Order: sequence, then C-alpha cells, then structure tokens
Amino acid sequence: MKNFFRKVAFGLKPDEKAPSDPLVWAQQQVESIPEFNWKGKHIYSEKEMRKYWITQRVEENTTLRKKYKNDPEGLRRAERKLEADTGKHLWPANELCIRHAEGLRGDHPVLAKLWYFWGNHFTISDTQTLGSYSTGAYQREFLRANMDKNFETMATEATLAWPMIMHLDNKDNIGPKSESAKQEWRRREKRPATLNENHARELMELHTISPEAGYTQEDVIELAKIMTGWRPDWSKRKDHGSDVGFEPDKHEPGKKRVLGKEYKKGRKAIKQAIKDLVNHPSCREFIATKLCRYLITDEPTPQMIAPVIKAWEQSDGFLPEVHKAAIKVAFEYNDKYRKFQNPENWWLTTINMSGSTYSYPVKEKLIDSHPLGIKPFGDISEQAWFLEDLGCHPYRQKQPNGFSDLEKDWLSTELIIRRIMFAKTAFHKFNTQDMLDDNIHEKIIRNNFDNPDKILKIVSKAKTNEEKHILLFNLPEVLKA
Amino acid sequence: MKISRRDFLKGTATSLFLAGFNFPVLASTSKKKNLVVIMLRGGMDGITAVPVIGDKNLLKRRKKILIDNPIKLDTDFALHPKLNAFHKCWKENTGAIVHATSIPYTARSHFEGQNLMESGGRVPYQEKTGWLGRAMKIANHKGEGLALSLPMPLLLRGVPKNNNYYPSDGRLPREETLELLRSIYADSSEEELLDMMNFVKKRKNEQMMGMTSSYGKRKNGNLAMKAAEYLKKPDGPRVAVFEVNGFDTHAAQGGINGTHTKCLLEMDEIIENLKVYLKEAYKDTLILTVTEFGRTIAQNGGNGTEHGYGTALFMAGGLLKKSQVYSDWPGLKRKELYQGRDLNATIDARSVYASAMSTVFDLDFNRIQKDVFFGDQLQNLSDKLFKA
Repeated sequence: MKNFFRKVAFGLKPDEKAPSDPLVWAQQQVESIPEFNWKGKHIYSEKEMRKYWITQRVEENTTLRKKYKNDPEGLRRAERKLEADTGKHLWPANELCIRHAEGLRGDHPVLAKLWYFWGNHFTISDTQTLGSYSTGAYQREFLRANMDKNFETMATEATLAWPMIMHLDNKDNIGPKSESAKQEWRRREKRPATLNENHARELMELHTISPEAGYTQEDVIELAKIMTGWRPDWSKRKDHGSDVGFEPDKHEPGKKRVLGKEYKKGRKAIKQAIKDLVNHPSCREFIATKLCRYLITDEPTPQMIAPVIKAWEQSDGFLPEVHKAAIKVAFEYNDKYRKFQNPENWWLTTINMSGSTYSYPVKEKLIDSHPLGIKPFGDISEQAWFLEDLGCHPYRQKQPNGFSDLEKDWLSTELIIRRIMFAKTAFHKFNTQDMLDDNIHEKIIRNNFDNPDKILKIVSKAKTNEEKHILLFNLPEVLKA
Repeated sequence: MKISRRDFLKGTATSLFLAGFNFPVLASTSKKKNLVVIMLRGGMDGITAVPVIGDKNLLKRRKKILIDNPIKLDTDFALHPKLNAFHKCWKENTGAIVHATSIPYTARSHFEGQNLMESGGRVPYQEKTGWLGRAMKIANHKGEGLALSLPMPLLLRGVPKNNNYYPSDGRLPREETLELLRSIYADSSEEELLDMMNFVKKRKNEQMMGMTSSYGKRKNGNLAMKAAEYLKKPDGPRVAVFEVNGFDTHAAQGGINGTHTKCLLEMDEIIENLKVYLKEAYKDTLILTVTEFGRTIAQNGGNGTEHGYGTALFMAGGLLKKSQVYSDWPGLKRKELYQGRDLNATIDARSVYASAMSTVFDLDFNRIQKDVFFGDQLQNLSDKLFKA
C-alpha cells in the first residue's frame, strides 16, 4: 500500500503521517487548482516572460550581429552579457522552483505529478530559446490552470498558446491561395506562401487522436489549412513576439475536410476542429493509455484503460474526473504493477522521502534577491544542472513528443550512474544532524514501506549513512513504484 | 560463429560476476567493424571546410570570411589549413570527402533539419527513430551503440539498450556498495538493472585506474579518447555518436581564427583522438559527419552566412577505399546555385550513410534502402567509397 504514495506522488516524508484513506487523499487533490506553494515574487504570465524573449532575440539579431561583425570573441562576450541581462538562466531556475515546490511542499503532490504529465504531453521542445523564457510560464498558465476544466479547453488553449505556435512552426503555415500568397514581395524575395504541416500533424499525432485513429496525410494537410493564419505577426521591434492572432489574409480560403468532416474557412474552424478531435474515440483512448502508462505500467491493459475512458465519456472529458479514474486504477493495480520512474520524478521522490525538502527547492529569497545581469550560480543554477544531468530537464525536451514514458529509454549506464551519484547528492542536502542520525534510515523506511524489516535488512548492509542512502534510493522498490 | 556482445552478457552473467570485470577476449572469426557518426549541429559550411580552388564567384562573394592558405587536396579542392588531423588521415589514404551533398531538406530550419538528419526521413518530426538505430536493429546490434552525450540522440533510437558516456561530477561510491547494489538486483531478478550495473562496475574499475581526469571530461576530445577505448575492445560497442554544436555562424563567422573554424577544430580533434587511441582498430573503423544543411555562398551584412543547402561530408578511417574528394560539382555561378544562393546538393547524403552502413554492418544495400530509408531512391556508393 505504501508504494501507492510513490506511484501517484513522491512518497512520504520521514515524519509525515500516512493518510488513512490513500485513495480519497489522492483523488481529493485533483478536484481544484490551489495557489502555488512557491511564494517567490516572480510568478509571471507567459506574455510577461515573452518581453525578455523579445529583448534577447531582437538585440542579438539586429544590434549585436552588426556591431561585432568582425569580432567573434566580442560577439560571444556580448551574447553572454545579453543572456544574463534577460535572465536566460535565472528564469528557468525560477520556474523549476515553482514546479518542484508543487511536488515537495504542501498538500497536493498528486496534482503536481499529473501536471508534469501534461507538461510532457503538450511539450514545448527546446527550440528558439523558448525553454529559457517561456516554457515554464506556459506550463503554469495553459496546462496547470486548465486541469480543473475539460480536456477540450486545455487542448485549445495549449494549441493556440504562443510558445506552441512558435515551436511547431505554425507561424510559417501560410495558405498558398491566401491573399498574402499573391503579394508581389513574395515573388521578388522568392518566399512563396506554403503550408507548414508540422503543427497540424502533432496536434493529431501527439496531442489528440494519435496514429491509431488512422488519419491520412491528406487529413494532415487539410487540418494544416484550417490552421493557416494563426500566428504572431512579425515586426522589427518584436520579432515574432506579438500575441498569436488570426490573420485572415494568410488563411487558406475554401472548405476543408478532415476525417470526413467539412469545415468552413475562417477563424472559427480551428476551435471546431479541436472540438471534433478531442471528441474522437481515439483521443480518449490515447490519453487514457498514456495516463495509465505514466502511472502504472509501460504496457497498460485494456482493463486498466476502460474505467478511464468511461469516466471521460460520462464527464465529457472533464479532467478532474479523468484524473480520479486514473488514480483509482493505479490504486487497484498497486500491488500487481510497478512503474519505472522517470529521472525527475525519482529525484523528487528521493528528496521528499529523505526529508531534504527544507533545502530543496532553494528558498524564495535566494531567487528573489538574485539580480538580472548576473548569471545565476551556486544553489540556484545547480537545480537546473541536476535535471540536465539526469537527462530530463522539463523545459529542454529535444523533440515535440517529449520525454519517453518507457523504462527502456531511461535505462542506460550513464543514467544509472546519475541515480547513484544523485542519491548521494540528496544525502548531502540533509542538515548535519540528520546526516549523523543513525536512525534516520529506519525512520524513512518504516514510514514508506509495507515490508520495512526486509528493506532495513538490505540497507543495513551498508556501512555509512551516505551508503545507506545510495542503496535505499536505488532499490528496485524505489526506482519502480 | 559470430557472437554478439549482448548474447555473451546474457549467457554468462554468473561467470562474469565470478570473474570480476575482465571480459575474456572473444575469439571471433569476423573482425568487428566500427562506425562513428559526428553530428555537426547548426549547419556546417562545406565551403569553409573544403573550399573549391580558384573560383572567382567565391572570391567575390565572400571577401571578409575567406580562408587563407588552404591545403590543396587535388586539382579542384582544398582543405581548411587548420584541420591537421584530417589532413594526416588524407595523407595516409584514410581521409575522404563527399562534396556538394546534403540530406534532402531545403527549407532551412535548424529544428526540422536536425530532426531529419537524425531520422533520415523526408517529413520533419514524422519518424520517432533514427536511421542509425534502425539499421543497427536490422543488423541485430542490440546494446552496441554508444552516445557521447545525454540524453540518447534520436539518431540512435530504434535499437534497444544503447549505452552512453557523458561523465558526471564526483566519484562513484566504494566497490562494496556497487557490489551490494548489484547483488540486490540479481536477487530480485532485475535483469535490466543487473546488466546496467555490470557496465557501471566496469566503469568504476577504469575510474580507479585514474583514466578519467575531472577537468574537461565532457570535452569532445576527451570523450573521443574514451570512445576509442571502448570501440577497440572486441566486446565493446560498434557504433559511437558525437555531437558538435555551434556551426550556426550568422555573424562574425570569421576566417582562419573564426567561430566556424573553432567548431571544425572540435570535429578535427575527435577524429585525431579516435585515430590515435583506436590504434589497430582504426583500420576497421569508419568515421562520418552529418549536418542539417550547408550555408549560403555569399556572406551577409554581419560577416556571417545564412542557412543554405549543399555542404561537405567528412569521412575518415581504415574502411575507406582511398583518399579522395568525391563530388559531382554543380558549380558556383548564380544560375548553378540552389535558388540562386546555396551550393546545390548533387548527392543525397543518405546514399553515403546507407552505403557506409551496408559496409560496416555487412547488410545488403537494398535492404537498408528499403527498411531504413523508406525505399527512397539512393545510390549505392559502397564500391566507390569503401573497402569491401
């Protein structure tokens, strides 16, 4: 049973009282969206963060490249300075604190773990420096804030969010028969208006119905046409940093047909198309499978998925109900299946079970008092470095399909070495008193395992407290929850 | 009989444990051949690396960023004068270049281009595995890939149990602790974790022998030394993948001491250290580069270059037929350029990769073409470029 706290959350702290009804405890957490546990002053909207992106982008592309055209060293120095001035490293560190405080502090770690799921589902991959300025805010504003609404709302908002439009290139998706396509400058500059199918494909493949739905390349093209014109305008002062809007002159005229259904031209079609995609049977099956894969096992069975699909159907994709159903299935299968935890969730479990949460994430005042213009160092930058080193920085996904949910993709020598090393790191996040306390591991183990004597026996083979820590957090029982 | 290292591990887990860490040398009838791919991210400028000799168009359009005193390779092409290691390979008949080549991608986006150079497809983000991983899977080279980076690059995905080496800070715990963990995994029948611990324990052994210095251990030159050590073992990996970043020089590309040169030198150092530390095994090794696109022929207002199309591909190693610049040169007159601005690509770079994998993995070219590159039209260049 105790394993359930690691499966849907991050285990229990050494002195945390186990909830008497774990299922109710978990399900209650996903009913509403509480305030952030992080009390720092920098909780900015995606739009506010975009100002830093714009400054970095415009300065680099216009001023610096001209000024230092004959001075490669000078250019590199000026770029570093600009990065520090715009908080290129400070902002993602700040966002990580907000993110991890959700998992480690307060009373809704289950909600946090599911938030991380959605951040990976609607991935913003690390292109165009979005990961440094925008991804964290996007995950708060368009994903977490919609976790108490229908999937349709989340999917629509995520699709039209500025970072998503940017990283999947919908800004370059221009109707070949649109008004804009006919403009003289396109001929002159040899920049014809063309469709860019990237976003349309991922909307179907990764975000909603998945290839199981059996759509064709023609469907992708038609959906891309529906999406033409949804973009931020470009200007010299803002680069592509303007708000995403619908530009009728770049929209492909005429009717479109996706999966057999016809859509009229114009701004309304995209929302209708998303509505139809999220109501497609393959969408709920796909999301239910992914949720079960995230929480329960790499290969979910039809029996596991069925109750989640049913909850979806009965609630019209209302996410709290979908989440509760998934949690219930995880609860029922708790003893039969163990899920290999991705590096980030493992790291948070390690910190949480150790009781090292007083020093991780860092204190609010440390981040709040760090001035722009100075590249973060020490404890602030260390947090991002941990995640990069674990191979799982949540704003640095390489691909639009996000990080893998499969054990085989996380089992490599280098990544296992990281877990050994980082269990050690977590130990040194203890205060001295805990480091010296010979009973600390007994406390951790008694609170977190149904078979504490067996675990204690294994761990007691280690000589020092540090080694006990390494063993404990690399036991199969902890790596897999 | 051919024994793959993976089968070996499975079959002898217990005896291995008893024997400590020294893998017995396998008697194998066929020699193990290695393939190393260096990914050059950002768009490598083939014209800076391998300039064409005496082309007026180039002199005119690249005044500020020309490379002085390039090394003449043949009547038509020269080499960037700082690429000493590659030049040494060339002189020893183990360095070759394919010029005016590219993956079939012309839309000039890094993200799409880098995705395609790894996936080997034609539609960005469509494929979720890499061309190297798919071919390794066909060749049944499971657990024989080594990435010198984190996380696992797309290029190697598609075959299970790849390894990576990208050392972390700090020291591994005591031998006894690792052994304890290993025995816990063995007791709880965690096969996969057990395999990993066997790798880790080997690593530990090497660390104790002082072969990993802390400083600069993630630098490509040092990673190459390490990779060579692994590759040259008969039971080591057969495939290694490196990444060199920073080729995207929109401004201040610089000439002989510029930013682009710096990146090329990093590539050169990988080649050098592989060659030196592979020793005898260099004979059975092929090193290739891949990039998403080349760069414009003309310099821009910031003395840099923009995203282009055709570029050059470096090859080194004993599996090359001879030193040569292999090219169907399209010319640099404006009408010969792609869209009037970029070097054209007359050879699909994937033809080179397919031919290379056919040679190194002993696979039928047509099978690679069909199952790795989706049946796309590719030329079999194996006889022209590589030793049979």
